[in-house]
Amino acid sequence: MTAVAAKYDEIKSLGAVVLAISIDSPFTHKVWQEGELSKMVPGGLPYPMLSDTGGRVGELYDVYDEDNGVDIRGRFLIDPDGILQAMEVLAPAVGRNVAEMIRQIKACQFVRQTGEATPAGWEPGKKSLQPGAELVGKVCDIWSPDMAF
Amino acid sequence: MAVKVGKPAPDFETNAYINGEIKKVKLSDYKGQWVMLYFYPGDFTFV
Repeated sequence: MTAVAAKYDEIKSLGAVVLAISIDSPFTHKVWQEGELSKMVPGGLPYPMLSDTGGRVGELYDVYDEDNGVDIRGRFLIDPDGILQAMEVLAPAVGRNVAEMIRQIKACQFVRQTGEATPAGWEPGKKSLQPGAELVGKVCDIWSPDMAF
Repeated sequence: MAVKVGKPAPDFETNAYINGEIKKVKLSDYKGQWVMLYFYPGDFTFV
């Protein structure tokens, strides 16, 4: 969560907001924020910390672990129309890659703005693809796997 | 209802801790912006 905070200026500059959510109460969020997070990130986490009491929201997103009573590490990217554009769920002990999350925001925004498609490993400035009948069977002429890295 | 890419993200309302205050938050409050909804197992965990 603090890694997301460290990149929050870039996330904000993309017109995106982060909503962190766990089964903890708002009071627990406050204590964690003031007692620990603010020592890792000046001012604490800069985004809202939502309280999913009882895992009700986690159930809606299919990330509530009933056996342990917690929400597992699910990340959902929602576009300005409220449509889900990307999701990723990791095992509890595995942390996320914030750079990849930011890359996905940029790729989703590019696709939304241009109607084009972004091949594997796309970053801004890299080759995109114009979907259409002309491209069928021709991707190999304009794109190769080494361009993904 | 399962969540699917390309379909509406389920709306919800819940309490949130924001800038030192406790407020109600709805996902639909953020329409018009890109939202990264980040579930995590719990406060005071390590990852």
